[in-house]
This record gives sequence, C-alpha cells and structure tokens, in this order.
Amino acid sequence: MFERRLYFHVDWLLLGAVLLLSVVGVAMIYSTTYVATPAGGHPGTQPMTQLYALGIGLVALLVCLAVDYRMLAEHSLFVYGGLLLLLVFVLLKGQTQMGGQRWIPIGPFHLQPSEFARIAVALMLAMYFGENRRGAKNPGDLIIGGILTLVPLLLIAKQPDLGTAITLMPVFVGVAFLAGLRLRLLAIIAIACLPLGFFGYKFALKDYQRQRIQTFLDPEQDPRGAGYQTIQARVTVGSGGLTGKGFRHGTQGQYKFLPVAHNDFIFSVLAEEQGFIGVLGALGLYLFVIVRSIEAARLAKDRLGSYLVGGIISGFAFQVIYNVTMSAGLAPVKGITLPLMSYGGSSLIASLAGFGLILNVRMRRFTN
Amino acid sequence: MTTNLIPDDRRSLTIRLSVLQYLVAGAFALLAVGFWVFQIAQHEKFREMAENNQQRRLPLPAPRGVLLDRNGKVLVENQATRNIAIVREQTKNVGDVLRTLSAATGVPEAQLRDTLSRRRRDPSYRPIVLIENASFEQYVAVMARRLELPGIISEDVPSRRYPSSDMAAHLFGYVGEVTEPQLQRAEYEGVEPGSIVGQSGAEQAYNKQLMGVDGNRTVVVNSVGREIKELDKQPPTIGHPLQLTLDADLQKATEDAFTASGFNGASVVLDPRNGEVLAFTSRPAYDPNAFAAGIDRTTYGALLNDPLKPLTNRALQGRFSPGSTFKMAVGLAGLEEGVINPNFTVHCSGSATFYGRPFACWAKSKGGHGAVNLKTAIEQSCDVYFYTVGNMLGIDRINKWATLLGLGVKSNIDLPNELVGLVPSSQWKLETRKEKWYAGETISVSIGQGQVSVTPVSMAVYAATLANGGVRVTPHIIKAADDGTGLKPVPAPAPQSTIEVTPEKLEAIRQGMWGVVNGGGTGGRARIEGKDVCGKTGTAQVISNQNRLLAQARNKNLDFRDNGWFVFFAPRDNPRIAGVVFLEHGIHGPNAASLAKHILATFFAKEDGKPLPPPPTHEDLHLDYKDPYARGGSGLAGGGR
Repeated sequence: MFERRLYFHVDWLLLGAVLLLSVVGVAMIYSTTYVATPAGGHPGTQPMTQLYALGIGLVALLVCLAVDYRMLAEHSLFVYGGLLLLLVFVLLKGQTQMGGQRWIPIGPFHLQPSEFARIAVALMLAMYFGENRRGAKNPGDLIIGGILTLVPLLLIAKQPDLGTAITLMPVFVGVAFLAGLRLRLLAIIAIACLPLGFFGYKFALKDYQRQRIQTFLDPEQDPRGAGYQTIQARVTVGSGGLTGKGFRHGTQGQYKFLPVAHNDFIFSVLAEEQGFIGVLGALGLYLFVIVRSIEAARLAKDRLGSYLVGGIISGFAFQVIYNVTMSAGLAPVKGITLPLMSYGGSSLIASLAGFGLILNVRMRRFTN
Repeated sequence: MTTNLIPDDRRSLTIRLSVLQYLVAGAFALLAVGFWVFQIAQHEKFREMAENNQQRRLPLPAPRGVLLDRNGKVLVENQATRNIAIVREQTKNVGDVLRTLSAATGVPEAQLRDTLSRRRRDPSYRPIVLIENASFEQYVAVMARRLELPGIISEDVPSRRYPSSDMAAHLFGYVGEVTEPQLQRAEYEGVEPGSIVGQSGAEQAYNKQLMGVDGNRTVVVNSVGREIKELDKQPPTIGHPLQLTLDADLQKATEDAFTASGFNGASVVLDPRNGEVLAFTSRPAYDPNAFAAGIDRTTYGALLNDPLKPLTNRALQGRFSPGSTFKMAVGLAGLEEGVINPNFTVHCSGSATFYGRPFACWAKSKGGHGAVNLKTAIEQSCDVYFYTVGNMLGIDRINKWATLLGLGVKSNIDLPNELVGLVPSSQWKLETRKEKWYAGETISVSIGQGQVSVTPVSMAVYAATLANGGVRVTPHIIKAADDGTGLKPVPAPAPQSTIEVTPEKLEAIRQGMWGVVNGGGTGGRARIEGKDVCGKTGTAQVISNQNRLLAQARNKNLDFRDNGWFVFFAPRDNPRIAGVVFLEHGIHGPNAASLAKHILATFFAKEDGKPLPPPPTHEDLHLDYKDPYARGGSGLAGGGR
C-alpha cells in the first residue's frame, strides 16, 4: 500500500511546520497550566495529556498518509455515515462537560466526535463534487452538498457546541468555491444571509447569546461578567508588548485572569509571553502551513484531491483566523479552538489526521 | 496532465486557489496589524491594566506611638487585633457573600450591609473592614468557609490597648476611623480614608506625633485574589512615643478614691510649680478599649444616650457653681484691693440682710459663727463674712481677681474641647442680658453661687495659682516627646498670667486654707500629719431650694443633691501638689476632702519612698450622706461649707 518511492514526495516542510506548531502548543499549555504557589509551583497535568494526544495524532497522520486518499474517498459514505452515528450516539449517551454533551469515554480518553466532522464532511463533499462532472455549477448539487454539511452541523449544534458546528460551514464553502460555485450565487447567498442574520438575532437567538454579541461590541458594559473575557484577552495580548514577558512569566494566563486560557485562548498566552515577535512567528508558521496546503491542492492529480485539500484547509484557515481574532479580543467569544495549539486531544488528533490527508494528496500527485 | 482534470477546469481551479491564498494572506496581514495595535501602539495601557490585575498594594497600618507616664511606665500600647474585611472586586455577588458571612459570624447582615454602604465610594480593590476585632471563633468560621466567601480576607492590624477599663479614659481619649469632615482639614493632610486617628483626649491632641506612617506590601495575586508572591514591602513606622506628665500611681489613687466613693465627678491634680497634670479623671468614664478596634453601634449608642453622659469630659466641659471654694478669690480681691485687711472682722449671727433681703449663713442653725476674721472665715467657711466683703468689693473687682486666679477663663490645657466657665461682671451682664448689674446679685456670687460657674480644670489652676504665689500656670499633659532620636523633655508652656501679689496678703489666705484642714475647719478629713495640707471645701447647690421642691415633685428620679468640692495644695510651704476633687451630687464638700486625702497620701508616700496606701474602702472615706436639704431654712439664699 505504501510504496517506497512515495517517501520522496512527502512534503517534509509542511510536516515540519505542523509538528513545530503542535510542539509550541504543548509548550504554551505547559506554561499556562503551571500551578503557581507561593512556594514555587508545579506543572499541571495537561501538557502530558497533550503529548499523548500528539503521539496518537502522529499515528493518525501516518494512517491517513498511508492509505490512498482515493480509496478513502470511495468509502467516504461509510466514514460520513459512521460520523453521523457517533454524533447521534453522543447526543443520546455522551458525557456532559462544560455545558455540552460532546464526549464519548473510551478508556482513559474522551473522544469528541465533532472534531472529526470536518474531515468526514470534507471527504464526503470532495467525493460528491469531485466525481461529479458538473461541479458545483448546478444549484441542485449545491443544495445536496449543503444538506450533507447541514446534517452533522445541526447534530453538533444540538450538543450544544455552536463553535465547532460553525467550522463545518467554511469546509462546505471552500469545496463549493473550488468546485466552481458561481461568485454571483455566493454574493446572493451572502446578501440573503443578512436579513436572515438580523431575524435570527432578533428571534432565534437565546438571550444569553444576544448578550454575548452585545458585550463583545461593548465589553465595558459588563466588565466583570460577560465582557470579562474580551477585556482580559486584550489585556493579555497588549501587555505582551514587542518581546513578551517570557516563557512561564505571563501573568494573565498563569494567574487565571484569562479563564481556561490553555483551551480557546492559547494564542493570547503566546502573545503575552512571546510578544509581537512571537505572534509574527506563529502567524507566519500558520500562514506557511495554509499556503503550502493550498499549493498541495493546486498540485493535486485530480479534482477529488484538490477539493479534499481545499475543504480541509478552508476549515483549518477559518478556525485559525477566527480563534486568533478572538484571542486578541476582536471577535465574540465562541468555543472555536486554535487547531494544533489549543489543549484538546480530539482536536489535535483530527487536525493531524487532516494534514495526513493533505500530505497524502500531494504525495500521490504522480501516481495513477 | 491527468485525465481527471480538463484544462479549463484546471485553470479555473488554479485561479480560485490563488484567490483563497490571497484571502488568507490578507486576513493574516490584518491580524498582524491588529496585534501591532494592541502589543506595540497601546502596549503601555494594557501593561498597566495587567499590572493592576495582578498586583495589589496592601496597607500595613502603623502602630500608634506608645504613651508613657512621667516615670516611664507604659500606659497605652498596641496589640494585634484581627479584622475581617471584604475586597469587593473579588466578589461577584456581594449580597450572597454578606449573607454567608453573617451566618458564619453571627453579625447581623443589615449591619454588614450598612458598614459596606458607608464606604461604597472607596476603590473596589481596597479592603473594607466589615468586622473589627473579630473573635477567634469568627475568624475560624470564616476561614472554614473561604470558598463560599470570595473576597473576604482577614487582616491583622495593630490596635490600641489602654491600661484598665476606664483609667484616665478622658485624658487618653480614644481612636476611631478618620471622618469625612476631618479629612477636609489641613491637620489631617496625608491621612488616607479609613485610617485610625485620635478622636478625643491626648489621642486627638497629639494625633500627629502618635500616628505612625503606614507601610504597604505589594503582592502578586491570582484571579481569585490568592497571594502568589510578595514583590515589595515597606514596613510601617510606629508613631512617636510620648511621655505624659501623668503619674500612674497618683492616677490610680484618684480612680480608686472615686470608685470607693461611688460618686461621679472629676479630679485634676497639678504640679503647681509648672502646671504638669499629675492625675486627671472624669467620672463616669467609658472603656477606651471599646473604641480601639472600632466600637459597635450598640455600645456607642448606649454611651451617647446614657443620662450620666460618660463621654463628656467633666473636668474640661463640666461647668458648676464653685460654692465656698470661691471664697479665696473674694478674700484675695478684698485684700489686694485694699478693701479689707486680714484682721477685718465681721460678726456672723447666722444671716445678714443686704439690699432689703436676708442672706443666710450655712451655720445659721448653730446660731452663726460669731466674730470672724479672714482666717477663721475661710476655716469655717462663713458665708456672712464673704457676703460682706463681696458687697464691699462689687462684682467687677471680684471678676478681676477671680480671672487672675484662673476662674471663668480657659486653662488652655493641651486637650481638646475645653469649655470656659463664667465669673460675671457688670460688662458681661450688659453685653449678654442688656441689663445693668444689680449690687444685690453680688452677694450670692461672693460665696460662689448665682451666676458663677467653673470647670474642674480651672479650679485646679486656681488651687495651683494660690499655691505658687500667683502664677497662673498652664496645665499640660506632655512631659517629653520623641522625634525619632529618643525622648526629649518638652518645655512647659508659659503661664497664662502672673499676678503681682503681696506675699503677706496671699499668706493670709493660705493660712486660712491651712486652718480649713489643720485648724478644725471643714476640710479636716484631708489632714495628713506633717504635710501641712491646705484646702477649701465647697458645697454648691445645683438648684435653689424652692425649685428643687418643685422639680422633684415632677420627677422623683432627678438628682438634686448638692455638689461637693475640695480644692487643695500641699505642703503649705513650697507646695508640690495642687488640685481639685469635684463630686457631682456629692452632698458635702468634706466628702470631696475624703477623696483628696487618699490622693495626697499617695503623693507623699511616693515622694517619701514609703509604701503606697492601699485603695480605700467605702468605709475608709467616712462619707456623709445626710442630705442637708433643710439647711438655710425658709428659702433663704445661702451656701454650704
């Protein structure tokens, strides 16, 4: 299955950048979760857990690299179906933590199926549009693609985990865009979304959700409540300055002024401890990973590969951009993790598996 | 190219992938700009905010300066007490926390709420003390429920400890939180809101010296306010110690005497040579320790509403008729104005008539004193003699000499809120009553009744001035002060005035006063063998006899018993102690002399290096409780012994 000569076509630079980001993530988690006491302190348990996840993620990456993506795509219906089953199972039997029913306990681990939804949906959509001669030019196909995305999206939103659910949207938009979705149609959808968004805000959103958006727009109106995270995120980032406070010397994350920073706000901690220079470095790495992945899509042998990479990397790019924006207190707080860096095993494993597929497509660009 | 992609498709895909790349790169560029704005352009602002997040300056209250007695004995010191305070910014739901705190400590929730609302304008990071001087049980209860009480902290603060429950309470005064109006005043410049300052007595008068400089600790705290580490510590500087002129033993003797007597009143004992206050008391007193760590409202309310007014410093603020103790002033005026000489004799038949109105002598029932000269008139406290002399002098000359002796003017003691008594004059009456003085009014004034009123401290000055030959010393309580380089003597303040008194004339008065104690006079109870105690008793009506009848018919609980005075100095030659004992409703002046005896005996025992006399029992004082209500009979004006 894994031919020797394929080795030479593995994108080591991309793989290296991805692993570097993951390791930086572990280091930031170590720094943020360090338990400070007057006597000195000790590391938290999270960095070790993340390292285990990194190991498992590498195995997942290798598996996704080894199996020909076309073979995988042929079975995409099973993958997709399996995902839907898991999501339904989670809704019925899943473990509830932090206000959402998201986890399936497997031994010592807790699997979060929603994190794998992006890959499954990307695979499914790439297969659907890639094997379809007409591409996404046909509104009918677009609607079917939309439904394929919406089913898992709604299942995840029901958990409720709006943040993760939302990340399926860019996957769909990315694949559809590459598959030739007319820009005019995109514009129409965007314009149609405006009044929808307005009425949604007015009638569909719950009070606390409206509250969140309002506090984002004016965090000072409730500095100790809902606006707290937004303000503290800005303080965390801004206080880092040019060179940062130094590894393990961040005060905002370590002293928990920024709540659960190792999770959604890991980038804020990086900005605080490594400063603007560190931010540029990390942003540069992410940009490299994304641009390099899009390059892989360009090089892909077939539309399937192109769309697959496009779908995965669109979701990835959206997550990175949204999370980093939120980390600086410039976007409403949503449960959208920073892929590769945020604490969370399922997220890391899924991200690495995704890059396994991207490397897969690039590696097999010359094969038949 | 591969079979899967037709060239047209490939071109469109390449373009769209490029669009994607540029979109992402654009977004990243915007993000970089965003971070630049926060991290570089606005860095200073956020750096400060982060620092405020995690750094706390906690005040370390400075202990106040220690108060020593004249022999270096520590009178007032400091002790650590535990306060329970709230830091509001660490508390999301203040209401819940107060409820839990109330349940844990037993302090009514309304009271906590009240305390908090009084300080609501303080910055939210500053701890607000909710429970002062918390008991150990309260402390344990709070610590056990720490998790339910975010923002509740306990702090150890120094607080005042006063010697015994009420010793010299009015002289020491008490401390309390600085008030809003005080903060506006120049003398409290630099004092932080919430600081403890002197609110009465020496604590107030010498607040500046006694107050130390608060220190502070800068600590790093985490988001729930738990301390992580200490960054900086400025230790507090204790206030400067002050050495008082007070003699602890004499003070105790004074308090003991009052306690044994059961009477209220006041006593001020001076060194007549320089005005140093050796003992100072006002009864009833309060416990200044109750104020030390913040007084609770119930206790304070009870003190305020007590009909006996324990917070009033009777020695400085009580104004009473001096009665017969006023007679030396009249006598000296007569001598100095040349109206009489020491041999001037008056025949006392028990009463005399002036301006068509009879005035009784207190000895009327005994048939009067017969022929009395100045010395015997003072000894026997003959009213008729002084009616006569006063009448010869007229009010203005009495006023002049009483004032020179320290009556009817402020003593200018270095304690706050002294009130001034009154020795009337024709000008005073014209100014205040728009009426001319009637010569008939002088008669009552001559025996210290009528319009005259004096404060106990001014009576002590009066005694000292008679003792030292006419120097109206300024009573003061500071002997030495420490400016950081050890105790240095503080020079006594200059006398208020000095009279050019003819020694022989003053001597006649002093002979009379010696006779009061040693010559079978009214103050015999103050006699101490070999010490030549001089003194004068006074029994002063608080109300005229007719009015007393009427008022008591209305309210049986009102106390109209006469006030008792004893002014004294000793020894007769080179006096080293002078003072006054005032018994409010003490019935007889001689009762006051009984108390003075214990004070004088203690003074001389200490001076002679002998064992101090034990505290007197009630029986030792031989108090006379016979209410001489019937005295004077038939509603005649008159004075007691």
